[in-house]
Amino acid sequence: MIGPLEERVAAQRRPLRFLAFGLAVLVGMTVLTGRLAYMQLANGSQYIQRTDPNHIVAEAVPSTRGLIYDRAGRLLVTNIPSFAVKIRPGDLPVSQRATVVTRLSGLLGMSATDIRTAIDANPGSRFDLVRIANDVPEPTARLISEASADLPGVQVVVESHRQYLSGPLFSQILGYTGPVSPEEIRDLSTKGYLPDDWIGKTGVEASYESYLRGTYGSQNVERDASGRVVQVVSTVSDPKAGSSLQLTIDSREQKLAQQAIQWGIDTADLESGVLIVMNPQTGEVLAMVSLPTYDNNLFATGISTADYQGLLKASGRPLVNHAIGDQYPPGSTYKVVTGTGGLADGKLTENQTLLTKAYLSIGPYKYYDWNHAGWGPLDIKTGFGHSSDTFFYQVAGMLGIDRLAYWAHQYGFGAPTGIDLPGEASGIVPSNQWKEDTFGVPFFPGETYQAGIGQGYDVVTPIQLINAYTALANGGNLYQPQVVREVIGADGNVVRPFEPKLIHEMDVRPDTLRIMREAARTVVTIRHTYNLVDLPILVAGKSGTAEFGNRDAEGRLPFHSWFVGFTPRDAVNGSFSGTDSQLLVLAFANNSRTVGNAATEIVKYYMQLHYDISKDYRKPELLQRGNFFGD
Amino acid sequence: MGVLRIERTRLHNWATRPMGAAWRAFDWQLTIYALLLGCIGLAMAYSNSDESVLQGGSTFLRGLMWAGIAIVVFTAAAVFDYKWLKTLAWPIYFTNLGLLVITLAIGKGVGGASRWVSLAGVQFQFSELAKILMIVVLANFLSRRERQLDALSSILGACLLVAPAAVLVLLQPDLGTSLVFGAILVGMLFMSGASLKWLGILAGSVVAAVPVVWTHVLRDYQKQRLLSFLDPTADPQGSGYQLLQSQAAVSSGGLLGKGLASGTQAQADLLPVQSTDFVFAILAQELGFVGGLVVFALFVALLWRVMTSAWRSRDPFGLIMGAGLASMILFQLVVNVGMVLGIMPITGIPLPFVTHGGASLVSLALGLGLLQSINMHQSRAAW
Repeated sequence: MIGPLEERVAAQRRPLRFLAFGLAVLVGMTVLTGRLAYMQLANGSQYIQRTDPNHIVAEAVPSTRGLIYDRAGRLLVTNIPSFAVKIRPGDLPVSQRATVVTRLSGLLGMSATDIRTAIDANPGSRFDLVRIANDVPEPTARLISEASADLPGVQVVVESHRQYLSGPLFSQILGYTGPVSPEEIRDLSTKGYLPDDWIGKTGVEASYESYLRGTYGSQNVERDASGRVVQVVSTVSDPKAGSSLQLTIDSREQKLAQQAIQWGIDTADLESGVLIVMNPQTGEVLAMVSLPTYDNNLFATGISTADYQGLLKASGRPLVNHAIGDQYPPGSTYKVVTGTGGLADGKLTENQTLLTKAYLSIGPYKYYDWNHAGWGPLDIKTGFGHSSDTFFYQVAGMLGIDRLAYWAHQYGFGAPTGIDLPGEASGIVPSNQWKEDTFGVPFFPGETYQAGIGQGYDVVTPIQLINAYTALANGGNLYQPQVVREVIGADGNVVRPFEPKLIHEMDVRPDTLRIMREAARTVVTIRHTYNLVDLPILVAGKSGTAEFGNRDAEGRLPFHSWFVGFTPRDAVNGSFSGTDSQLLVLAFANNSRTVGNAATEIVKYYMQLHYDISKDYRKPELLQRGNFFGD
Repeated sequence: MGVLRIERTRLHNWATRPMGAAWRAFDWQLTIYALLLGCIGLAMAYSNSDESVLQGGSTFLRGLMWAGIAIVVFTAAAVFDYKWLKTLAWPIYFTNLGLLVITLAIGKGVGGASRWVSLAGVQFQFSELAKILMIVVLANFLSRRERQLDALSSILGACLLVAPAAVLVLLQPDLGTSLVFGAILVGMLFMSGASLKWLGILAGSVVAAVPVVWTHVLRDYQKQRLLSFLDPTADPQGSGYQLLQSQAAVSSGGLLGKGLASGTQAQADLLPVQSTDFVFAILAQELGFVGGLVVFALFVALLWRVMTSAWRSRDPFGLIMGAGLASMILFQLVVNVGMVLGIMPITGIPLPFVTHGGASLVSLALGLGLLQSINMHQSRAAW
C-alpha cells in the first residue's frame, strides 16, 4: 500500500545513482587490490632490497666561511670549531622520544620543553637535521656521541662559529650571522641552504653573504637504522671555502673615531652618536662608529632570548646602525645645497651681497635669523661662514622649492647612497610634487625658507650627509660609499678588486664648488666654530643643529648637532681651492642639550687624534648642559 | 536479510514507538564491521608500541582509550533522535566553523601548521569532526531543497556552505582534509539527485582551475609532496623517503606477512609516521596480502551497510547523510591506501578506523551512530 508520502520518497531514491556508487566502490577496490597483489605477490623483489635497514644518503659537507680583514690586513673575524647537537626527527622513534628528550635535557642542561619545541618547529622534512644546542662543551659532546646507541636520531656535529676579534668596535659594520628562519628557508633551500644552516643577518655578514658562504660539497654516506654514518661511500663534490673580505675600514681610525665619539657621549650625556670618516676621492669609508653599540659575539653561538630582548629595549637602540639606518633633519649643514644652487642657477655671484637682518617677514609670519640680529650685508662665503639664516632664506626664496630639490638630489639626498650595508634609509627631499603627494597641498613660501636651512620636511641619514660633502670636497663626483675594499678568493686571488663607484657627476661648474669649499673654510676662520681655526692643520666644514621632538619644561626643544669637516691633502700648507682632500669627517650628536655644538668638538677631538696633535684644543665647557645659542 | 526484507509501512511517530522496536531496526552488521576495522587499528597500535605497550601514554593505550570513547559516542548518537539535527543544523554549522577558527588561532602542528588543539593534555583534530558535522549540515540543506535539485542554485548553495570550512582547513594548511570536503560534497550532490548537467559543468570548471591553483595557490613543498609519488627515487631523502620505505614494507609482506610486531620497517622505525597515515604499509607488511584483502572486504561490507541505510531511509535527510558518510569513507580509503601503494599523491588523509587518531575514530563513531539513529528513529520505507 503506497500512499502519497511514499511516492514522494520513492521519487528521490535513484537506483541508477546507487548503482553508480557501487560501481565506484568496485573500481576503487579492484585497482587497490590489483596494485597490492602486484606489489606483494608478483613483484616483491623489486622493492625488497630497500628493507635493508642500512641506506645510502647524500649529505652536505659544509664549507668554511670567509674571513674578514681590515684595510691594513688585520684579522677581524675568524672561525672557531664548536660542537652542535642535532636531531633527525625521522630517526627518533615516537615511542622513545620522551626518554631521549629527558636524557638530552639532563646532558645539555636545557629544558625538555625547549628541546621538544625545537623538534616540532622544524619546518622541513622529518629527515632534515634540527638544531638543538650550539657551542656544546667538548666533554658533553663526547658523552652524547658515545651514548648514540641510546639516543637514536641524535647527532653531534662539529661545525665552526664566528669569533669577532674586536667585538663591539666593529659590530655595526660586520653584523653577525644567525640561524635561517623557517620563512627564509623556503626561498633559500633552492640555493643550497639547509634548514639548520646559518646565514649573515646584518652588516657585511649579510650584504656579502654570497661571497662569504662558499659552496657546500656533497657526499654519499651509508647510514644504519639509527642514523649513524657507517661509511662515506663516495664524494660527489668537495666543499669550496668562502671568499674573504678586506674592508675599507682602518682599525686604527675606527678606534680613534670610537674614542672621540665616546668622549662626546660621556661628556655631553648624549643618547646616541655617529662618527664617519671617508676618503672623498674614492668613496671609501675609513671609519664608521655608531654608539651605543653591542657585542656581535653574543650572536655568534645563538643569542639568548633574554639578551636579545635586552638589546631591543636598550636606550639608544644599539642594534641600529644610526649612521645609515636613521634619518634626521640636517639643519644648517644643508645650506651647502642652497648655496650651490644659488650660485649654479645664477641667482647669486661670488661677491654679490645680500642684506641679513633680525628676521624676514612673509605676511604676518616672521622668520628669524638664529642670532635674532643679522649681520648686515654678507656675501656667500661670509653668509655661509656665519650660517646666516636670513641669507639662505633669501637664496631659497629665489630658487624655489623645486630647484632646491634638484640641487639636493645633485648632492645625493633623497635616495639611499647604495652603501654596501643592509638597512639604509632613504631620507626625504621635499618638493611641490612630494608635498602634493604626501599632504595634498602645495608648498608655502615659508616652508621653502625652512627647507633652505635644512629644517622642516628635510631629513637625511648621516651617510648621505657626509657623502654630499665628499662630492663638494672632490670637485663634484658623487660616489657610492663602500665599506668593503676587495673580495679575496680562498686561493688568495682577488675575486673582486676595488673600484670607486660613481653615482653621478654633479651638474655644476668646478668654480661653484670651489666657492662653496672656501665658504666652508670661512666657517672655521670666522670663528663660528670657536677655536677650530687654532689647530695646526687646515680644516673646512659646516656645523648644523636641528630642533626636533617636544619642548621640555622650560619650553626648549631638544636638538641634534652635526659637524662635517675636511682637510686638504697637505693638511698644513694646502688650500681648499683644490679638490685633493683625503679626509672627511662627520659627527652627529643625537639629542644634545649642550651650550655649544657637541659634534664640532667631537670632530675636533678626532682630528687631534688622527693628526697626532699633542696640544688639546677641546672645550668641554661647550658640552655642558644648557640652552644652545648658535647654529 | 536487511535490504530484501519487505516490511509493512508503519507510520508511527518515533515517540510513540516502543524502544524495543527501535532496537530491532539497529543495524548490527554495520556495527560489527566498524568494530572489526577498529580492532585491526588497535592491533596495529599494539604492534607499533614496542616493549612498552602497557606503559602509560603508549600508542596502544591511547588507542584503547579512544576506542572506549568512540563506543560511548556511537551509542549515544544512536539513541539520540536524529530529527533534532534538522532543527540544530545552523548552530551546528557555525559551531563547526568556530572550532576550525579556534584551531587556526591556537592550534599546534608540525612545522608551524595548526592542525590540532590540546584539551586537557589530549590532542584533538577538529577538522575530523568538521567533516561529519558538514555532512549533517549538507544533508539538512539538500533534503530541504529536494524539489529544486535540478536548479543550479542548489548546487551553488551547497558549495557555498562547504567553502568556508574547506578554506579554513586549507589554511592550517591541510590540503588532504579539504579534498575530503570536496569528495563529500560531490558524493552528496550526486546521490541526492542533483542535476547531472550542472554537476558536469562544475566538475569541468574545477578541472580547468587546476593549473591556476597549481601555479598560484600551492606552495613548492606541497607540489613536491604531491608529485613525489610519480618518482619517489628523485628525492629519496626528502619527500620520496616515506614512499620508498612504505613501498618496501608493503612488498616485503608477501602473501601472509611477517606477523604482527615483526615488520622491519616499523620496528627499525624506518617508516616515520607508521602510527598515522602510513599504517596500511605496516599492516601489509605484517599481515600480508591476505590481511590487506580482509581490510578491503570489511570496508566494502561497511560501505554496503551504510548505503543500505541510505536506501532504506524514507526521510531524504537519511539518504543524503548516508551518501555523505559513504563518500567520505570511500574517498579516504582509496586515497590513503593508494598513497601507501604509490599510485596516489601524498596528502596526509587518515585511513578510517585503522589510523590511530582519536579525532578520526570518534568522529566516524559519531557519523555511524547518527546513521543508526536514522535507522532506529523512523519507520522503514516501503521497498
